[in-house]
Amino acid sequence: MEYLLVKFQESRGVIIDGISEGMTNEVLELETGTHSVTLEAPPDFTPDLHEFILRKTSVISPKVITFEKA
Amino acid sequence: MKKHRLSRYLFTVLIIALFSLCSCAHYQKNLPLTDIHQNEPYTFDAFNQSQGADETFVILTFSGGGTRAAAFSYGVLAEMNNTKLPGLNKTILDEADIISTVSGGSFTGAYYALFGPRIFADFKEKFLYRNIQKELSLALMNPANWLRLSSPYFSRIDLAAELYDRTIFEASTFKLLSDRKKRPFLIMNATNLYQGSRFEFTGEQFNYIGSDILSYPIARAVTASSAFPFLFSPISLVNYPYPDGYKMPDADKMALKDYWNNKSRYYKALNNTMYADKKGHPYLHLMDGGLADNIGLRAVNDLYLRGGIRKKINSGEIKRLLVIVVNAKNEPQETLDKNESPPGLATVALKTATVSMDNYSFETVESIKKMFADRIGAQMNLDGCQQKLDEHCKDGYKLPALAGGKMKLYVVDISFDNLSDNDEKNFLKHLPTTFHLEKNAVERLISAGRLLLKTHPEFKAFMDEFK
Repeated sequence: MEYLLVKFQESRGVIIDGISEGMTNEVLELETGTHSVTLEAPPDFTPDLHEFILRKTSVISPKVITFEKA
Repeated sequence: MKKHRLSRYLFTVLIIALFSLCSCAHYQKNLPLTDIHQNEPYTFDAFNQSQGADETFVILTFSGGGTRAAAFSYGVLAEMNNTKLPGLNKTILDEADIISTVSGGSFTGAYYALFGPRIFADFKEKFLYRNIQKELSLALMNPANWLRLSSPYFSRIDLAAELYDRTIFEASTFKLLSDRKKRPFLIMNATNLYQGSRFEFTGEQFNYIGSDILSYPIARAVTASSAFPFLFSPISLVNYPYPDGYKMPDADKMALKDYWNNKSRYYKALNNTMYADKKGHPYLHLMDGGLADNIGLRAVNDLYLRGGIRKKINSGEIKRLLVIVVNAKNEPQETLDKNESPPGLATVALKTATVSMDNYSFETVESIKKMFADRIGAQMNLDGCQQKLDEHCKDGYKLPALAGGKMKLYVVDISFDNLSDNDEKNFLKHLPTTFHLEKNAVERLISAGRLLLKTHPEFKAFMDEFK
């Protein structure tokens, strides 16, 4: 498995590959590969979506992506 | 004389008419989707429970193996039904969330998912003690069925489906399961002959073929799941055009970019999206689920990696996860290697078609154990790092928490090899794959299932958590 940390200034639901799954600022466990990530409503964040390849991560060194408040 | 000739003529016309009528016999077709949301009631997400109810999440997988597998898995169910969770007013069977089944195991799994505890009152008489083989042979010998069987669209597998529908599953469809909205969520597995890939009877899978699962008979799904090569012909389904508004799931879109990153994810998506080519693949022909995975664990593997279980873990809903794998693998007594001359064509053909069925079962169990061990390892690494930080850094920095926290994970793999009594082990391992076993054999399989569950070290460790 791979590890992803979605950073946002508040706790917010995360949508991974079109499915609500987990929260921001927690390390999420995911399958190796290409993923798209966005946040749940309200749409007050930027960018709208991150798409990236998740690989070669560990629980103490997760891939970090950040959403900023728009 | 003239009258006699006329009646002979009439008789011939009648026979031809009857023959033509019966040769129009057609298997029961699956129906097309008219709305993209139509299948949602039979998806795992639709079987959600109240908050906190998934803290203990229990998954069962029942292997193939005819009546041997059905009785063995029934024994495990019976023991679960008999095992109270300390401090809670329920049994471990009440906690069952998913049952993934193959072939013979599909009879037990489907019956329990449909009728719940009633299985302990009547399933032995309804299925385990019956000589299904004989009943199927009698149906084949019935002249009325010869006429139906002369149709290219009706075969002996359809007779089997009718028998199961009438005498075991009471004409139930998936709508009845979805209306119950009661766990466990049943996943019956078959194999698509074209790709050799797993085909599961769920709303998500039926979306890919543009078909309505709710109207599909449970008995036909069980029959597809247990269509043993050479004994049965395949169950056929129509791959319909999608209704308006259908979109390829985002997860498949992403996975199709993963040829170099994750081939298992890529090929899973490729198999799913192949059905979008309606002209190239207008029909599917399904056979025994054991050809793709004879223990039903790959469905669980997929749900853990990328499906409903992963979602629940990342959302912190599961605190302890128990997977019970009931594997009725046998070792039929064969004389293949006792003769210098090679076996005949029929033996080789049957062996070739079935030899792969159990080849990867062991590896599949080991693979899920490894994934669970990795998860526990990740939790320990995070804890260990945090402890070091607490010891050596004075600023109180906290590492981000792992979603799902400190989960406990257990795999209970139940097979005849676990038995310490060698005589019993040999007896059970030499039982054939058939839909008829003597009552004594059925009872011994049930007892073995019960014994092997309650004495399994991982199961005992799981139960100790509740003390």
